[in-house]
Amino acid sequence: MSETVWIPLSNLAHGRSGDKGDSFNIGLIAHKKMWLEILELSVTPKLLDQWYGDSVTGLISVWPMPGIGAINCLLRGGLGGGATTSLRLDAQGKIWGQSILRMRVPVNKKQAEELGVPLNNQSENQWDMSHIL
Amino acid sequence: MAVSKSDVAVLFEEPIRIGSGGGFWGDRPLAPVDLLKSDDLDYMIIDYLAELTLSIMTKQKRRDPSSGWATDLELWLAAGGIDALRKKSVKLVTNAGGANPESCARMVLEQASKIGWHECKVAVISGDDILPRLDYLLANGEDLTHFETGEKLSDNGVEMMSANAYLGAGPIASALEIGADIIITGRVADASLLVGCMLHSAGWAYNAFQLGLTRESPVVDWAPQHITNPLDVLAQWTIAGHLIECGAQVSGGNYSNWGEVPNLATLTLPIAEIYLNSDVKITRGKAGGGMVNRKIVAEQLIYEIGDPEEYITPDVIVDMRNISIEDESEDVVIVKGAIGKPEPKSLKVSAAVEGGWFASSSLLVSGPHAIARANACDLALRARLSALEELEIHTEFIGSGVTLPKNIRQELFPLLNPPEIMLRWAVTSPNRRDITDFTQEVAPLVLTGPAGVGGYGARPKPRRQLQFWPTLISRKSVESLVKIELLTHLHISAESERFHFIRRRTRGFISRLQDELDEREWTRPLVKKLGWERNDSITDLTIQKEKEVEI
Repeated sequence: MSETVWIPLSNLAHGRSGDKGDSFNIGLIAHKKMWLEILELSVTPKLLDQWYGDSVTGLISVWPMPGIGAINCLLRGGLGGGATTSLRLDAQGKIWGQSILRMRVPVNKKQAEELGVPLNNQSENQWDMSHIL
Repeated sequence: MAVSKSDVAVLFEEPIRIGSGGGFWGDRPLAPVDLLKSDDLDYMIIDYLAELTLSIMTKQKRRDPSSGWATDLELWLAAGGIDALRKKSVKLVTNAGGANPESCARMVLEQASKIGWHECKVAVISGDDILPRLDYLLANGEDLTHFETGEKLSDNGVEMMSANAYLGAGPIASALEIGADIIITGRVADASLLVGCMLHSAGWAYNAFQLGLTRESPVVDWAPQHITNPLDVLAQWTIAGHLIECGAQVSGGNYSNWGEVPNLATLTLPIAEIYLNSDVKITRGKAGGGMVNRKIVAEQLIYEIGDPEEYITPDVIVDMRNISIEDESEDVVIVKGAIGKPEPKSLKVSAAVEGGWFASSSLLVSGPHAIARANACDLALRARLSALEELEIHTEFIGSGVTLPKNIRQELFPLLNPPEIMLRWAVTSPNRRDITDFTQEVAPLVLTGPAGVGGYGARPKPRRQLQFWPTLISRKSVESLVKIELLTHLHISAESERFHFIRRRTRGFISRLQDELDEREWTRPLVKKLGWERNDSITDLTIQKEKEVEI
């Protein structure tokens, strides 16, 4: 079995987030369509659950959108009550789509190398979750 | 005379060009004027209503019966917008009417009048507001259950502050068909603003009139016979509407690779071009900065959606999974592959119930160990308010990772030593007095907390929160009461009004039947307020009201 390496999500995808009631969604689009499989394998509901911890209280869904090489993540109960009753400054969850790009995600090294996914760390400020998993 | 479906085949060689005037009430208010002046459009759409905007507008209307609509519309119409709409023959379709579309429409007529556009016709679409009928609806089988929490309205014992159903594209298309220049609606689903324009431009609405279909029929039934895949066509139009309804978010704003976008300062608004084969191209206004490419459009496609297999609008349910987005040329992206499924049985209702009291306040904390100082401030404030049992206090140490999830932030905390922290509190309580007590304890921390605390302001005023209450309602309960009214300042001559709706058909369309249609009789009441309302038999489109109304 090939080695797993942890890389910043920003190496693999770009994203945008927004609110729907007390849920927010994050769309993550692979920089190259052919990286979708890697993206799907690395950003799982389990990983998102570990990243968000009790900041998200409801079910987490992840759906692929093969036409554009993306996944859509829906995080229910993630806005502290929704835009109007949340006490958080970013009550609409606008920032989550960018702050998650600093998360490190596990990828299969061989597969990533074959498809040209950069394995470098672009920034010093990413939090590696490999010790949690 | 009955007309068969095939008679109304409509060809268009040029695409229909629909511009977006902005993304929400609060977006750059004068940007629509720039787009109208720089580019040739058939329509401009503007979505002014976020999920809770209508609750705020409903509150405003209670205080002042002439308010409760998106006042930004007046700002840009008065700043050359109304003139540009008239000179360039662009039809405006917007939900700026909010909780009070009629007052909004009167403002539009005033603006038109000021530039001498006396024949301007403004359609008002209402009927989305179900609050006045709430008791009736509850007594007749609608339970208005909160679809996120499962709470029933009756269990809750709360007063609903506003409740608006999301209308679809049908009424917009009907209003365009009877000759409206500007359409002011209450709550209409964002993407339906564009779909309404296309139902008119592609001849579906005309076909529906000819076939005697009611406007609340599923709009898919309006398709002329030669359209073999009407649901997919509706799906493509819906996606076009979804892509441009957030304004510049699809022309370079809020883009992950923001550094690549030329001249954010002069970002232009987007334009959707819709082709006969239902291909959609997304591009942007000519005069200014910004960018449209595959990645930007993909970010917007996925914005604020749930399950991509079921993007639900009142007109159609769209399967987005196989939508493809490709770069065609500089600033032009082509979007294909949306699949349509029949419209939902229920309409979404955006409602609000009264919540608790709320205030927020912040202080700037600096010096060595800024985080520790901020923490001391927070502890002191909490201790001073500890007697208030129902007060909930939420503290954010801005600059220490509040945009990261809590567990990651806690890990990070000991590693940080920022030069300053913005300390922000937000509090809520069922008691207004608790909130006032909080507001009185913030500024004193400057004198009674650790050193290095500043940035205090006046005591904020406690305000009442609204709690969002999303629910569903059967289509029938809403759609049979949707009302379209056409308002104008002048009597219209019979000659100019005949087939007005055909002659004014937007640029780029050729109707095969135009000559034939011109020969047919078409009469309309010639009144100031053209009440155009369906009667309750649901099968017959008739003009019910003919009365002069003071405008």
